[in-house]
Amino acid sequence: MTDEREIYAQLKDPKQQRAAFGLIVRQYSEQLYWQIRRIVLTHEDANDVMQNTFLKAWNRLDSFQGESKILTWLSRIAINESLDFLRRNNHPAVSTDDDPSISHTLLADPYFDGSEVEAMLQEAIATLPDVQRSVFLMRYYDEMKYSEISQILNTSEGALKASYHIAVKKIADFFKSRD
Amino acid sequence: MNEEKYIEEQVGRRNPFTVPEGYFDNFADQMMASLPERQSRAQHVWLRPMRYAAAVVCVLAMGAMAWFALSSSPDVHQPLQVEAVQVSGDAAFDEATDYAMIDNYDIYACLSEE
Repeated sequence: MTDEREIYAQLKDPKQQRAAFGLIVRQYSEQLYWQIRRIVLTHEDANDVMQNTFLKAWNRLDSFQGESKILTWLSRIAINESLDFLRRNNHPAVSTDDDPSISHTLLADPYFDGSEVEAMLQEAIATLPDVQRSVFLMRYYDEMKYSEISQILNTSEGALKASYHIAVKKIADFFKSRD
Repeated sequence: MNEEKYIEEQVGRRNPFTVPEGYFDNFADQMMASLPERQSRAQHVWLRPMRYAAAVVCVLAMGAMAWFALSSSPDVHQPLQVEAVQVSGDAAFDEATDYAMIDNYDIYACLSEE
């Protein structure tokens, strides 16, 4: 893995930045993809959002000053792009919690190999507000530290802990109500 | 947290999503092939003062045009005022002419009086 500082220096050099950006795409696309996919749910949408994420990062290269890690910077763009995508497309992932279509849609998706209860978890997550959903996904699946999530979402650790607890309670209630 | 354990027992933490075969292997190449050329920020920074200069020239030009247009067009609604201005302009001109016609002798005379 190439050193972050080395990549950052190359990103600032017009002659090397394209090659350096290629390294970034190769190095981080898989991690970013899963962050995006868990929000937008379908592969086609995740692919579109990931392309937009890298395109936006490329166009905003000058605004990246190396204050955070490259992955943190990219994750911030990816999460915002994913949530914007849902808002723009009025996607089922932001529909009301009474809408059963998400789990049904997922179970019919060839790129979803989860069980019915795993599809229901995705449906429950989709009912959460943006911050609760983002923090739940990063904590529950990626087991990220609150300090890392705080940098990505630009929210205090205290607020994130509160959001995570509320999200967990809502999802637990969701399953208990279906028992 | 009990509720977190409850969710884990009910569902687990497994990633239930999949991708088409070879997706991650091909993504980077496709992404880089579709990436446009970047416009250098240095070019924008260099152009910025020229834009400001052009804006200032435009404002000055418009101001000058407005000033000439207003000063050259006679105000037909206020003829008396124009005449008064003209009179005062003539008086000032005469006074200036008087000073201009002072010769060396007049200057010596003025100095000797003091």
